[in-house]
Amino acid sequence: MRVIILSWEYPPRMVGQLAEYVRNLAGQLVKEDVETYVVTYHDYLTGGHDDSDGVKTIRVTNPVRTHIGVLTWVLTLNQEIERTAANIYYGSAKQVDLMDTYDWHFIPAAVTLKKSLGIPFVYSVESLEEHRSHGANSPFNMAIKSIEWLGMYEASKLLVKSEWMKNEIYKIFKVPLEKVKVVSSESPHLIKDVLGVYKSVAEGAASG
Amino acid sequence: MNHDLSVMMFSWEFPPRIIGGISPHVYYLSRSLARNGVKVYVVTCDFPGAPQHEVVDDVEVYRVDSYKNPSPDFATWVYLMNMNMQKEAAALVKSLDNKVDVFHAHDWLVATAGIGLKHVFRRPLFATMHSTEIGRRNGINSDYERMIHETEAWLTYEAWKVICCSDYMVSHVQWAFGLPEDKLIMVPNGVNNEVYAKYENEDLSQFRRRFALPEEKIVLFVGRLVYEKGVHVLVNAAPKILEKANAKLVIVGNGYMKDQLSALVKSMGLSHKVMFTGFVDDETLRRLQRCADVSVVPSLFEPFGIVALEAMAAKSPVVVSDTGGLSEIVEHDVSGVKAYVSNPDSLAWAITRILADSGYANWVRANAYKRIQEKYDWDKIAQYTKAIYKNVLGEYSKSFWARTS
Repeated sequence: MRVIILSWEYPPRMVGQLAEYVRNLAGQLVKEDVETYVVTYHDYLTGGHDDSDGVKTIRVTNPVRTHIGVLTWVLTLNQEIERTAANIYYGSAKQVDLMDTYDWHFIPAAVTLKKSLGIPFVYSVESLEEHRSHGANSPFNMAIKSIEWLGMYEASKLLVKSEWMKNEIYKIFKVPLEKVKVVSSESPHLIKDVLGVYKSVAEGAASG
Repeated sequence: MNHDLSVMMFSWEFPPRIIGGISPHVYYLSRSLARNGVKVYVVTCDFPGAPQHEVVDDVEVYRVDSYKNPSPDFATWVYLMNMNMQKEAAALVKSLDNKVDVFHAHDWLVATAGIGLKHVFRRPLFATMHSTEIGRRNGINSDYERMIHETEAWLTYEAWKVICCSDYMVSHVQWAFGLPEDKLIMVPNGVNNEVYAKYENEDLSQFRRRFALPEEKIVLFVGRLVYEKGVHVLVNAAPKILEKANAKLVIVGNGYMKDQLSALVKSMGLSHKVMFTGFVDDETLRRLQRCADVSVVPSLFEPFGIVALEAMAAKSPVVVSDTGGLSEIVEHDVSGVKAYVSNPDSLAWAITRILADSGYANWVRANAYKRIQEKYDWDKIAQYTKAIYKNVLGEYSKSFWARTS
């Protein structure tokens, strides 16, 4: 199995606790014989490529250096994410089983890659704009929520860490409950559960 | 028709959505390419009442829901619109079995859609730069403007070739983004002279009386009444024109300088010799251009100068200031008369040169019309554009992308 993980934070660039979680998961996937790519952002702090632990990490920067907010930064950076994922796809005889994208940042890239190259994706929801911004509904917050909605609509499966989040997603976005899978990060069989979701998504896509 | 290549155009405006000059440009370029054996898909923003998909003059037009995401400001709207445009275009290309040979983006307004699709489908990308942020703003003065400037730079970097509509814009874009010379190609803007044909044999004497006395020559200005269009230069030239010819200045358009200009005309005691019509419909405008004795484009700054081309297509003799794109459109003393920029004396000299000698005026008129058909004909522009696509596809066929995609 070949998987591309899209995450806006990955060690050594750590914004919250997501970076460590993704590194741990990617390392375990490699041990399970999954060919694992991580496509992430770097701000000239690290090298572009890093294949330690067998995880193939590719870091991209934003060609547009000046921004007026996180939205313009994210929406331009997505093209570099797409370019990198497309290079992996074409470099692997067009065989990529799925993408696993963390939070809303790289949803636009995941959606384009799904529509153009037919690679399905899992949307791993760490947190939601609704909770981060305490219900604020300025155009800025609403734009982020609309990207989250797009991700939920286009993803094959949503991965969350708690029943609470599953219910919040159902409540806020009206996503059918069977689309949302709960895998606790504390779970002793975390990797088995995640792989189960990956396999169902890859097989679902293969069978059309 | 048998198509030997296909292009997908991205534009944020396409008729009936008309915001500026890109909409008519993409419309005429697309239909002319289609007439010359190119399969053309246009992906553009939606417009109330316009269908999501239609075929216009053999061009497949797809309109994308472009206001579905709330946006805090215009630039963020642009990038969100590009996200939706990219998503729809990706699905469209896939539904066509990837049978799209090249992508063509018009301005930074569709930059990220074009760049993203180039990489996921591995196809050559073309960019037409109609304008630049640094030119529009006369410098980069804020983070907002710099972000747009850097997006433009990125688009020109990702494009296989960058197309500009005048030699002036070629050198401007080369300077603004530091591009290698061989990346830039000048393909002129076209003008559609067919729209003037129906007025060819029409008796316009009654129509003309709405604007001037039968014995008055019509000196026509068409454009926004803003500083860089130089209308004030024309008004200041009026006394010298009237010394030599019985003329009427007809000024078409609106703008922030309108009140100032009327006050100037009044203070000169020339209210009876200068008429401000405001904005007029296409029909009236084309008739006016047909019966103008001279059309004047006195701009201080002009990237292209489409209004001069339209006057030439309407067979009106033209006087232009010697600047930007206008310098290239008109050959002095052959297809028009050039005047020094911002110089009322020079402008009056050029105008009276046309008005005083009808033989000369007719000669200039005929030369200009011939020039239009030679250089600014949409069919020829489409054939040239097609040749550029083919040339690049030849280069592309030797690249590793052609083998892998």
